[in-house]
Amino acid sequence: MQHTQEKWGRPRDDVYGPYDASYLNSEPRTQTLQPTVTGTSVIGMKFNNGVVIAADNLASYGSLRRFIDQERLIKVGSETVVGVGGDVSDLQTIEEIMEGLEISESYDEPAQSLTAPNIHSYLQRIMYKRRSKLDPLWNALVIGGFKNDEPYLAFIDLLGTTYTAPAVASGFGSYLAIPILRKLVDREGDQQNVSKEQAVDAIKEAMKVLFYRDGRALDKYSLAILSKKDGKPDVEILKDVRVENQNWSMAKQIKGFGTQDE
Amino acid sequence: MFRNSYDNDTVTFSPTGRIFQVEYALEAIKQGSAAVGITSDTHVVLVALKRNAEELGSYQRKITRIDDNMGLALAGLAPDARLLSNHLRSLSMRQQFLFDRPLAVNAAVASIADKAQSNTQQYGRRPYGVGLLVAGYDEKGPHLFEFLPSGSMLEYVGSAIGARSQAARTYLERNFDSFEKCSLEQLIIHGLVALRDTLPQDKELTFQNTSIAVVGKDTKFTILEDDAVVPWLDKLDSTSRRPQRRETANTNENNEEGETTDITEDMVDNTESTESTNSTGSVTNAENAEDDNANANSSAEGDNETDPNDRMED
Amino acid sequence: MTSIGTGYDLSNSVFSPDGRVFQVEYAGKAVENGSTSIGIRCKDGIVLAVEKITVSKLLKLGANKRIQTVDKHVGVVYSGMNPDGRHIVTRSREEARHWRDQFREQMPIPTLAANVASYVQLYTVYNSVRPFGVNTIIGGVDDEGSHLYMIDPSGKSWGYRGAASGRGRQTVNNELEKLDFDKLTAAEAVKEAARILYVAHEDNKDKDFELEISWVTEANGRVHEFVPESLLAEAKIYAEEQLDADVEG
Repeated sequence: MQHTQEKWGRPRDDVYGPYDASYLNSEPRTQTLQPTVTGTSVIGMKFNNGVVIAADNLASYGSLRRFIDQERLIKVGSETVVGVGGDVSDLQTIEEIMEGLEISESYDEPAQSLTAPNIHSYLQRIMYKRRSKLDPLWNALVIGGFKNDEPYLAFIDLLGTTYTAPAVASGFGSYLAIPILRKLVDREGDQQNVSKEQAVDAIKEAMKVLFYRDGRALDKYSLAILSKKDGKPDVEILKDVRVENQNWSMAKQIKGFGTQDE
Repeated sequence: MFRNSYDNDTVTFSPTGRIFQVEYALEAIKQGSAAVGITSDTHVVLVALKRNAEELGSYQRKITRIDDNMGLALAGLAPDARLLSNHLRSLSMRQQFLFDRPLAVNAAVASIADKAQSNTQQYGRRPYGVGLLVAGYDEKGPHLFEFLPSGSMLEYVGSAIGARSQAARTYLERNFDSFEKCSLEQLIIHGLVALRDTLPQDKELTFQNTSIAVVGKDTKFTILEDDAVVPWLDKLDSTSRRPQRRETANTNENNEEGETTDITEDMVDNTESTESTNSTGSVTNAENAEDDNANANSSAEGDNETDPNDRMED
Repeated sequence: MTSIGTGYDLSNSVFSPDGRVFQVEYAGKAVENGSTSIGIRCKDGIVLAVEKITVSKLLKLGANKRIQTVDKHVGVVYSGMNPDGRHIVTRSREEARHWRDQFREQMPIPTLAANVASYVQLYTVYNSVRPFGVNTIIGGVDDEGSHLYMIDPSGKSWGYRGAASGRGRQTVNNELEKLDFDKLTAAEAVKEAARILYVAHEDNKDKDFELEISWVTEANGRVHEFVPESLLAEAKIYAEEQLDADVEG
């Protein structure tokens, strides 16, 4: 009889040899610890009659510009757009989840409408569940649409953290784009005084700044404009939009990194 | 022992393609007391007749709330209905949790109907012995569904299930054209009249044996019972084609015959404040207390005293 | 009937001495009196239609849909025991969803029909279950074109150009045989389906009924949906006109 507790239930050392505890020193089992192919910022803001969302078409492999035609805005249902930043394979998973959702929604006759708050809630639950399994979907999501005819804009990150705001942005956008967008919509309600054109201009301006200063950004992007026309939702997704009037003359002035001639 | 050799289980078709066990389960609904449901274009109303197994026993609940937008009335085996309503409640919570929206009535009923169907196709199970009228309000407006043990689900403008419910259906069929534009008040009265038609000659609708529930536009699912039913029975009297309900109300298993009428009238006045200090008011409270005792007793001992079969169907 | 009283008809999974499985045949009886449903396969899509007898005037008009969607590109209609039909639809949806998850594409309809038929067949070989009391018509459009299959309670699955099931199947089949499926377009098939159901309803004239028609076509992006209200109305008018013409002629 082994009289010490920690030996109970263990094979006898004299018969089976000492216990091999080497596995205890091995690495723990891991899930995704870092994203591989990634998309950068997604930005969005409300205006008086809807929402504008933009995300560029680049999928980077580390610092390599790996794919330059990656669509990162997903239309879900008839009146919602989800913009996805972060890991692109996880983006594809989310795309498939959204398609599955659309199909199950079509089962019911007559079907309930699927609105931005519904999709926001569902994605938040998925993101939080995955982070709780220590296997997150490595994304930041921007959800734009409508809630009771009012513009709706929400953000979710890979931990399941979520909020709604009149201007949202992920990644670099949260530093570079947010100040630009907040000039127009600082607080909830400010969007009342912002027209669609103003909002589109602000988003374009923000995409330009992001292209200048974010090394993982591209000057080609998709722009979703969601608005209400006669009480009906109208979703327009413009593809291959370019950052216009680029001016790189200041590039020569920048010093302090890279190989430069004095 | 059996009526024929095809009715022993749910996995045997008769030569004409019927499943007798399922048909017998449908009979169980008729053992329960009646429930009626009707819809307007804004609301759904459920009314139901409660039974008590014995004079001192409580009246069995006939109407259950699922969520703010949905509830149901049952006829048949109440324990089976509890299982199904628990399922509906989880579904409703899940929909709220995942999608931040109320459960669609159609999807809710489809889910329990599918559960019921599988009980009609596998050996070793019995079909549910309960019929349900599911009332709900969602994005598409008010809905009234009839659920049956066969797994059938049908949406109605008005429907009735339970003992002698054919009489109620007859009333509904004669009047359903007018339901669509009815006010909530008119709808409840229609429901009560239909329910009253199911009663045998010697029975009356009373505040004790009648349940009313409403749900609809800007109206959460609300069950009216006891005191809250009284004003509606009074309205029913004033619109009644069968006069003098009040007198006959006394015959309903109540020992204090003379006083019942008084209490009933008193309640109309005191629907707002149950804490009334006048003498009749305290009788009301005493009556309620007595009721509570009766509840406690029946749950503690009731099963020993009565044949459970008598009490299973509600 | 020779089956009754022999004892061979009391259990599923039992053959009679002459090689029949009576329980499956009895399940077929449940279908024979079911509501009439139709499927038509034409060059640019498929059309499904069903005659819904109004058993009570208290039923809500336009509700209680009988044609259901399985996946974006596939629809189903059935005759017989409606709860059993819903069970099969649920199973079909699971099949289609599973295929999507595995292969990231829409399920080919012949495969879907075969798998659903296998599921139905399983319910004929165990004495712990009973067969399905429905005939299921599955239709849709995939990369290989339009497909129409009908599955009976035994698990038999055959492809059709025009399929009929339920009470009025004989009348319907007679009418379907007159159609020229090579030339028929989906829009025309909708009208024909309405007409044929009206003809089949003549045998049952005292009862009111509702008409439900859905389609999947190349033109609507291979999506299973109910036909537009305007087309349904047009089809009903066409059906009534044709019926009147027949009566006069």
